[in-house]
Amino acid sequence: MAYLCTRCKHSVEIDYEVMGIRCPYCGHRILIKERPTLIKKVEAV
Amino acid sequence: MDVEIIELSDDNARFVLTGVNPAIANGLRKSMLSEVPTMAIDYINIYDNTSVLFDEQIGLRMGLIPIITDLDSYVLSEDCDCNDEGCTKCQLTLTLSAEGPVMVYSGDIQSSDPNVSVADEKVPIVELKERQKLVLEAVAKLGTGRKHVKYQAGVACGYKNVPVITFQDTCDACGKCVDECPKEILRIDGDKVTVTDPLKCILCRLCVDACDIKAISLEEDDSSFIFTAESDGSYPAKELIVQSADTIIEKAKLLNEILESIE
Repeated sequence: MAYLCTRCKHSVEIDYEVMGIRCPYCGHRILIKERPTLIKKVEAV
Repeated sequence: MDVEIIELSDDNARFVLTGVNPAIANGLRKSMLSEVPTMAIDYINIYDNTSVLFDEQIGLRMGLIPIITDLDSYVLSEDCDCNDEGCTKCQLTLTLSAEGPVMVYSGDIQSSDPNVSVADEKVPIVELKERQKLVLEAVAKLGTGRKHVKYQAGVACGYKNVPVITFQDTCDACGKCVDECPKEILRIDGDKVTVTDPLKCILCRLCVDACDIKAISLEEDDSSFIFTAESDGSYPAKELIVQSADTIIEKAKLLNEILESIE
């Protein structure tokens, strides 16, 4: 799963069981999950 | 049966229906609310949404936008030859693409059919700030109000009985009822009290209570109804009423067929 670092804007691959939540490029600990590119179907109700 | 139109505009109708029983009047009202097929967005395919609203919230807002209904070009999806798979006869595709900063209105929705579009162009969907984007495709289908409120073409449909206000000969024109009437439809005319516009009466009975000598009687006419019908814009008000009557006729025919097959 690819995340986006909010400081250096790098796309980072995280295996949180091994290294915890931290950007490997800048060390920032706030990462955001990006919206997947696939089309999402939503019922209009 | 007689119909007398009091007021008729594009999305509003007021008329007096006389010579029918309450069941027919109520049938017409219920038919307007829940039986007339109306176009509404069924589902949306979201390509991009970086607005502040969740996808589901956008879906709900899109669903409630009234769309002009063209019953000559579209059929209910359950009646379509495509077996509910979706074809140009039973569904309409609409697209919406907007990038901030902008306020997105229903008028920004582009329809694939030039004859069918949104009924009201000023329904707000979402406000986009800088770099926020909303790209989606919506699929609209016909449905009835019984299934979901978004398919309800008649939004404020109701009726009341025509009031019958009569004054006994004992009336001394004291004017107490005239002062009490909230709709100001009573007037002293010499030594009598007259009603200027009985259709405006709201049957509150304040005049009856105000009269010390019980000279006023207020009754409801069981066979006359003052109807109010308001359309959400998917139909002109007149067509909505005609369509609701047609729906009742269709159902009555179906019932007749079933009964005949039993004999």
